[in-house]
Amino acid sequence: MSSSAHAGKSKRHSVVVSVTSKPEFNMKRTSISGTSSQRQISHASGFHPSRIGSLSRRSILITSDGKTMDKGSLIGSKHTIQVFDEQGKDVTPRPLYRPEPSASLHRQSKILSTQDFSGATGSDFLSSLSMHQTSGVNASLVGPFSRTYGSSSISKSTTSTTESIADEIVEPGSRRDTAISLSDVLVRREEIKEQLTKEDIDKRVDIYLTETETIWLLDMPTVMVSIESEDAEKVKERNKDYIELCKNRVGNDCFVERMMQTLNGAPKNKEVQCDKILMEDKGIMATSWDLYDSFNALETTLAPSVTERSSRPTSLSSSKSNVTKDRERTMSITSTDRESITSSSIIDLESVILARIHEEEEDHSEAILKSEKFQQDLFFMERVLMENVFQPKLAAYRQLPVLIEPVLTSDAGKEEAVTEEAEEEEEEEEGEEEEEEQKEIVVGSSILLDLSEAPEEILPPSLERLWSYTCELTNGHNVSCMAWNKLNPDLLAVGYGQFGFQEQKKGLACCWSLKNPMWPERIYQCDHGVTALDFSLANPNLLAVGMYSGTIAIYNVQTHNTTALLDSSESFDKHIGPVWQLKWIEQDRGTTGDDKGEILISISGDGRITKWLIRKGLGCTDLMKLKRTASERKKLTGEKEKKSEALISRQPPGMCFDFDPRNTNIYLAGTEEGHIHKCSCSYNEQFLETYQAHKGPVYKIAWNPFSTDMFLSCSADWSIILWRQDSLRPILTFSSTTNVVHDIMWSPKSAFVFAAVNEGRVEIWDLSVSTLDPLIVTFANPGVKFTTVLFARNTDCILIGDSDGIVSVYELRNMTASDSNKVDALHDIIGSALAS
Amino acid sequence: FRPCPIATVARRESRSHAGDSSCASLAMAEVEETLKRIQAHKGVIGTIVVNAEGIPIRTTLDNSTTVQYAGLLHQLTMKARSTVRDIDPQNDLTFLRIRSKKHEIMVAPDKEYLLIVIQNPCE
Repeated sequence: MSSSAHAGKSKRHSVVVSVTSKPEFNMKRTSISGTSSQRQISHASGFHPSRIGSLSRRSILITSDGKTMDKGSLIGSKHTIQVFDEQGKDVTPRPLYRPEPSASLHRQSKILSTQDFSGATGSDFLSSLSMHQTSGVNASLVGPFSRTYGSSSISKSTTSTTESIADEIVEPGSRRDTAISLSDVLVRREEIKEQLTKEDIDKRVDIYLTETETIWLLDMPTVMVSIESEDAEKVKERNKDYIELCKNRVGNDCFVERMMQTLNGAPKNKEVQCDKILMEDKGIMATSWDLYDSFNALETTLAPSVTERSSRPTSLSSSKSNVTKDRERTMSITSTDRESITSSSIIDLESVILARIHEEEEDHSEAILKSEKFQQDLFFMERVLMENVFQPKLAAYRQLPVLIEPVLTSDAGKEEAVTEEAEEEEEEEEGEEEEEEQKEIVVGSSILLDLSEAPEEILPPSLERLWSYTCELTNGHNVSCMAWNKLNPDLLAVGYGQFGFQEQKKGLACCWSLKNPMWPERIYQCDHGVTALDFSLANPNLLAVGMYSGTIAIYNVQTHNTTALLDSSESFDKHIGPVWQLKWIEQDRGTTGDDKGEILISISGDGRITKWLIRKGLGCTDLMKLKRTASERKKLTGEKEKKSEALISRQPPGMCFDFDPRNTNIYLAGTEEGHIHKCSCSYNEQFLETYQAHKGPVYKIAWNPFSTDMFLSCSADWSIILWRQDSLRPILTFSSTTNVVHDIMWSPKSAFVFAAVNEGRVEIWDLSVSTLDPLIVTFANPGVKFTTVLFARNTDCILIGDSDGIVSVYELRNMTASDSNKVDALHDIIGSALAS
Repeated sequence: FRPCPIATVARRESRSHAGDSSCASLAMAEVEETLKRIQAHKGVIGTIVVNAEGIPIRTTLDNSTTVQYAGLLHQLTMKARSTVRDIDPQNDLTFLRIRSKKHEIMVAPDKEYLLIVIQNPCE
């Protein structure tokens, strides 16, 4: 309205554009206070000179200042833009309209974008008005602007609207105000994006809503009038008159009937040809995973799209693979994003790609083969194949009922349900004992053929061969030691090395998994024959390997790395003779001030039993030395015992040892002389006891896991002797063969059962049945010698290693399930044996 | 007296220093070996590796059979994957086994390839 009103508003700006004044127009300049920028409002009596603002949108700027201002048409640029034709004549179009000075446009109203004017109709104008109203931008509305298009009605409405726009929006942002340059009638639409400053966004914007004048769109006056209205009488009169008239019409001279002809235009047919409209059917199935993918991909592409862009050009194959991925992608919003990204990067490399498409194809297939996922899939596939091949054997191992494949003619339909295997899919590296899943071969709802149950026979106990762990790497090697992993009872470590001095060659340590009996999971090649190995209890991924050269190496089976973690070859006090046995022992008390933890004990041919420590600080990285205790544990001086043989005082080689399961301070050590010494960790000079009965080197000592008073020893003198701890004389002697007994082991399930291998056969003894003869005897293949035996912990199977590198798994069948913990019974037996 | 592990380390490192290609070739060798082992398994009739477009990368069967297997199994794998993911979109298909009267077809699918092994387990 008034300038006062405007003056009151603080931050209103309007841009005065071309202040290059046009002398022929009267300009009134008025500055309005409060504008932050140096804007002045110039009010031209007739118009607003304006030019295109350097900023933002071209829109019409309102400068309003009271009634003095008229709705100046921004004709303005007559002086700024001039058009000349070829002859140089000034042909700048002149405006069609010159606004009257009395126009009352002084309101600040909305900006109109220019394009609305190009052929704007009233409704467009108004709609754009309203649109801009909400955005709260100052504009100078040029009412007469619309008038330039000659529609008086428009202008009229414009004026009305502008008048109705009362208090206008105060535009804080100075930049919003722009002026439009009406170069004239034809105005290009150009929307330049506003540069919004931070202040603009944060500033408070007041929005005022006002009511426009009523816009009549359709007016259908009523044809009915109420009887009680004022006009009723008149209407009635008129109605009456009309009826009269109609009546009088007939036969009246005043009315004559006449005919008229309407001219019909002659129709004409016109033909038009157009292109064939092709119809295409397109269908897509919206699946729930598709939706899920789209949502997720939408989120992820927004973030890393930038980084993707930069990394794309660096690898051709990856971009190509992305393209292929995109091709197979179903329609989703983001696929278009991706495609645009990839396409842009691909365009960059297009020339290169075209030249090398063939190579890329190859690279891509190579990439597939080398990819980790592929290796993993191969790994699983191998497992699956193994499972197929070995399924009955493995089931027997697990003591599951054996599923026999029905012949092809029988009902094959039932099989489907049976052999679904879920484990491999989730399995990671076999070496990770910690994460080993225990879902083994599940025979599901197995269809059993109860062949084994029908006849009630009492079969004698026997060993049944299930399978062998062997591969071509191990052929020809002698199995010298075997150990189960402490955490995962299906993981087996086998050491291969020759026993004799003459036959020494390179050794091997392999880790076998139950799931793949045909190829070991880990293969560690060693320069010397492996003679002892053991898995750690505290860190189940550590495998200690002792060799014929006296070296002890520790491997981490978790990784595929085949180099040793730690190696003792560089330490001062390493063993000089072959390491015949290794064991990880949990110590109850620290001896040299160390915390209780696990230590590695070894016994070797140089006559020393040594304790190895892995210091905490020296992790498991490169080759590091093992630390040993400050002093050696023992020197087995041969002189003490054999005074009669005053020979060179050598230390007799130690062959084996075993710790008392109850008291890890006490242990037994067997020597080559045939003596068994009971020793204690706290004394390293003296033996507690010596048991002498064997005439040859003692190859193995084993405490009874159930009764810690008894232990067993086997030796090269063809005999196995059962001892009791407190008696220096053997309790029982088992000698059934004339072969060297290489290995013995108590059964983990029964206090009476133990297994022994001598060279030609394996014997299972059950003391509850007989103390004179073995329960089961199985012979070796000719030419092959059995060398090691190991009981399986979680099943009734026994593993036997032989001199050909084969570890066979046998199942113990039909063993009478005796009460395993009846130690008293054992004592009774012993007692009876003693008595006899 | 050089202990074995050090020696192995030295050898391996020298190989790796030769550049990435040698590391890659080491992996390739291992992959080839595993493929050979799988193929040599008892009862395995054929092994096929095809890429996403159906072009065989490695196969031990003749071309027509390979293409036939690849095409049919590709479709089946897509359908199976769609099924699994329809039930739970966060799940995905990892392995597919089809047991028939005569053999068992095992498919390890992936976005970029299909690993197919056909085995006759009854042998």
